[in-house]
Amino acid sequence: MSLPDHPKTAARPAGLSVRFHWIRRFREGWAIFRENLIGRIGLMLLGLFGLMALCSFIPPLIDPMYHPMTGVDPAISHSTGPSLKHWLGTDFIGRDIFSQLLAGARIAFMVGLSSALISILLGTTIGMIAGYAGRIADTLLMRLADMIMVMPTLLVVLILASLFGQLSIWTIVLLIALFRWPGVSRVIRAQTLTLKQRPFIEAARVAGASHTRIIFRHIMPNVLPLSLLYMTFRVTSAIIIEAALAFLGFGDPGTVSWGMMLQWVWKTGHMFQAPYWLLPPGICISLLTLSFFMLGRSMDEVLDPRLRKEDTNR
Amino acid sequence: MSIDSAIPRPLWGVMSRLLTYGLVICLLLTGGPACSRGKQAAALKIGLAEEPRTLNVWLASDANSQKILRQIYQPLYRPEPATLKLVPWLAESEPVFDPETVSYTVKIRPAKWSDGSDLTSADVAFTARLIKEFKIPRFSAKWSFVTRIETPGPRTVRYYLKAPTAVFLSRTLIGPVVQKKEWESVARAARQLEKPLAALLNHKIASPVSSGPFMLTQWRRGAYLHLQQNPHFFGRNLTIGGLQLGPHVENLLFKIYGTSDVAILALKKGAIDMFWQGIQPGYLDDLAKDPGVRTISSAKSALYFMGFNMRRSPFNDLALRQAAAALIDRDFILTRVLQGHGQKMFSVVPDENIFWSCPDVDRYFEGLPREDRIRRAYDILTRSGYSWEVPPVDASGQVQTASGLRLPNGAQMPRFTILTPPADYDPHRAISGLIIQEWLRELGMPAYARPMSFGALLQQVKERHDFDTFILGYGKLPIDPDYIRSMFYSKFDRPRGWNMSGYRNPEFDRLANASRKVIDPNQRRELIWDMQLLISRELPYLPIYKPALIEAIREDRFHGWVPMQDGIGNIWSFCRLRPTTLEK
Repeated sequence: MSLPDHPKTAARPAGLSVRFHWIRRFREGWAIFRENLIGRIGLMLLGLFGLMALCSFIPPLIDPMYHPMTGVDPAISHSTGPSLKHWLGTDFIGRDIFSQLLAGARIAFMVGLSSALISILLGTTIGMIAGYAGRIADTLLMRLADMIMVMPTLLVVLILASLFGQLSIWTIVLLIALFRWPGVSRVIRAQTLTLKQRPFIEAARVAGASHTRIIFRHIMPNVLPLSLLYMTFRVTSAIIIEAALAFLGFGDPGTVSWGMMLQWVWKTGHMFQAPYWLLPPGICISLLTLSFFMLGRSMDEVLDPRLRKEDTNR
Repeated sequence: MSIDSAIPRPLWGVMSRLLTYGLVICLLLTGGPACSRGKQAAALKIGLAEEPRTLNVWLASDANSQKILRQIYQPLYRPEPATLKLVPWLAESEPVFDPETVSYTVKIRPAKWSDGSDLTSADVAFTARLIKEFKIPRFSAKWSFVTRIETPGPRTVRYYLKAPTAVFLSRTLIGPVVQKKEWESVARAARQLEKPLAALLNHKIASPVSSGPFMLTQWRRGAYLHLQQNPHFFGRNLTIGGLQLGPHVENLLFKIYGTSDVAILALKKGAIDMFWQGIQPGYLDDLAKDPGVRTISSAKSALYFMGFNMRRSPFNDLALRQAAAALIDRDFILTRVLQGHGQKMFSVVPDENIFWSCPDVDRYFEGLPREDRIRRAYDILTRSGYSWEVPPVDASGQVQTASGLRLPNGAQMPRFTILTPPADYDPHRAISGLIIQEWLRELGMPAYARPMSFGALLQQVKERHDFDTFILGYGKLPIDPDYIRSMFYSKFDRPRGWNMSGYRNPEFDRLANASRKVIDPNQRRELIWDMQLLISRELPYLPIYKPALIEAIREDRFHGWVPMQDGIGNIWSFCRLRPTTLEK
């Protein structure tokens, strides 16, 4: 997929050489992205949550009572509302909810990005191989993708968790990734099918390039933007699946995630008594997934000119 | 001209019939709701957290099935609420022991089954023979020492024992009695099959014949169970254990709610009169705002403890177990995790079990502040040859962050896990595990709490013995402390055996065996106390706490709940409750 010249960037002198092809493309894309309100809001929210994740290391350094899992306020032995000492209040044994919320942001990013990255790597590689190789390899890989695609991820992970006992956070990441690659692979395969008919691939083949070189040197750079676009959507679904698992009691009990916070508020009977405990993790899950979705939507617009609105001023 | 003559006679007949039908319909429409209101008032609606799994009394091991079956099948003896002393229930009097033949003779009350047939000694003897013949898992151990059962009369049963056994009355005779007529054909059919026990356990019972205060009339799966008053209940108007029995409630309606939140909402709205499930302290503030709702906290006959795997290093070392015991602050767990709704435990027999609980067990530095606990634990380990790279107590006696704990043989202490049930199963145990992990780390022990699904946890601890430490609990301990024997007897240190820690001590085994044979309660108590002291010293299990049982009821519709250990949801309550609305 090649990007058409954007009116703004096309007016600029073509100062960047072919060596800076990627930088040029990024700048062009960024210029389009910048004009997209949804994308800007998404990026802003994402920045906020990124900051939360980074700051999650700070509270335990201030005082051990701010440790999200094991720290308890010696003066508080039940759930209390927001105060100066505990900005979002405390949970039922006196742990700081704000510290837990920050730690939850870190876990959400970790789960979302890691599982999305693994699923994108898998999906892109399988899609490229299926599209390029065609025939039996294509059939086998795509039927495998179809089989996995129809499996409900949450349900399968729930069954696995009940079969094998408690899953660690990394097992959950891996399982989500293993069930979320087929969608990507189908799109990448379709893109590869169109790319392999293009003259530059033919030229590479005539020049004696190996299949591996053609796939990874010539096709991959052209499908990567699409993969990255899909990654934003995969992050969203991974965060939601992990939160659902944790809420239902199948998450990693050793980590403080937003889903786990919701489970604690539910299981200890504070669901309708402690809104200061119930609402923050719920809102954070919604906003973080929304931010990735918004980012994906605007990136879609960057990559697909058909989705862009016509600029009447130009 | 009269009306009679104006209307032809056949038409008049039709009209009069129509008028009659109309009147009946009107009466039904107007009087019906009043009648149903009257019936509704006498229907006690109880919320259950889960569906009962079965109505087959031999298979039912889950709490919800037992809640239903306890209203239907009755034992010969049951504990009375005030003192927990066993009183004759289906039995008419105390059993008579004959030392010469080593036999107990039990006389039963005149009683009938819900189908109107007599409940006789044949039913009682049949029940015992069925358990022994099929070796029914949850019951057969309690009958292993009974050699023969005779029925000298229609209301007299005689049990012959191998030897005098103290638990015969307290464990064996408190089991349910089933109807011979109902189960004889089932047993006969099961005997013909390859796996008779499986056939018996898998037998589906749609409508069990009852000898209790209520009988089942309908079970709509996923929605409700309806029990109606048993007109033939033997206890009606009798005074047993100082309480005059009814029942005065016409119907029991058990409604199934998936979650506590929904059930509590139903209680607040008046859709149920009682939620028969322990509720978390988090609900109390909200429920206190409703004037019609009352919460009742009852002591539980329970034991929540930390178990150590004594089959392997490093927890086969008493010093390490003692150090762990010194570090665990029960007050913290009680005030924080249980929110004050529970009790600390030091012995494997709860304090409420006044007669059997030993008051002299070690209390492991109760009330000591955190740093002093670390110092005591440090002393214990230092004396036993443990060393640290950075000790938890420096040269000046100040507590510091410890690291690099080494065993007496010089090897680094390996990382170990504290297995707990997950927070969704029991938040108390899951959180306690995490807190204990931190306390043990203060001494340099590389502890890692690992909550895992309950089934997997039991498999790992009870079947495979593949664990270091664990936190588990017994939610409903019998009053007779014979269970201590099951927990620590050497013979039960086997896959799926109850001796999960792998504790083996010939002295304990001797005491346990003796405690079963001694009939005199006071002599037996001496032995039981010695057993508790031994466990307290050697610490295969470290008792930590037992939570209180908090139950919620509506006060505006029924009164007469009978408080008892393990909650107000007991047969005494259901036999004594009276509808408040009807009286008003």
